[in-house]
Amino acid sequence: MRKIVLLCNMGLSTSALMKKMRAAAEKEGYECTVNAYPISEAMQEGQDADCLLIGPQVSYQVEKVKAAMPGKPVEAINMKDYGMMNGAAVLAQAKRLIGD
Amino acid sequence: MEGMELIAFQIISAAGTARSMFVEALNLAKEGKTDEARQIISEGEECFTQGHKAHAELLSKSADGETIVMDLLMVHAEDQMMSAETYRMFAEELISLYEKLNSK
Repeated sequence: MRKIVLLCNMGLSTSALMKKMRAAAEKEGYECTVNAYPISEAMQEGQDADCLLIGPQVSYQVEKVKAAMPGKPVEAINMKDYGMMNGAAVLAQAKRLIGD
Repeated sequence: MEGMELIAFQIISAAGTARSMFVEALNLAKEGKTDEARQIISEGEECFTQGHKAHAELLSKSADGETIVMDLLMVHAEDQMMSAETYRMFAEELISLYEKLNSK
């Protein structure tokens, strides 16, 4: 069971993406949990995540999160996919990061 | 995805990316890389314009007499835009300041 963590400003806009990703995962039969949190909770919630995806509004913190969690795959969510709330595409991004 | 919600996300994505780029630009200027900083500001402005275009759709609907319902998500989108623009304005001033400081 893969744990995917989404991080953004307040968890507001990313929670919509979270729902879409969950739906896409269910459709594909990919076992994972997808949860959205405010970036301020990155350390607490990201500890046991398989990958962390960062929303565009806080993508300037990608390096900071990477440094705080060495070895964990961290990447900014693709801008277009985020704008279109493309759950399947961002799920694919997560899978690529995890190496699935 | 419903029309308004999609527009909101497009704005949030574009303005948010722009804002992140403006933050990165300022960080580069702090390190003395003012040329690179200005380049990133430029790229950020291009992203911002995309958000602006999505926003223009809303303005046009509004002008046509359609009621735009301001829900929490749309307020967030507007916030992102204003925050990005304000940050850019200050970032540009500070980059010039860092340039002056670094040249001493």
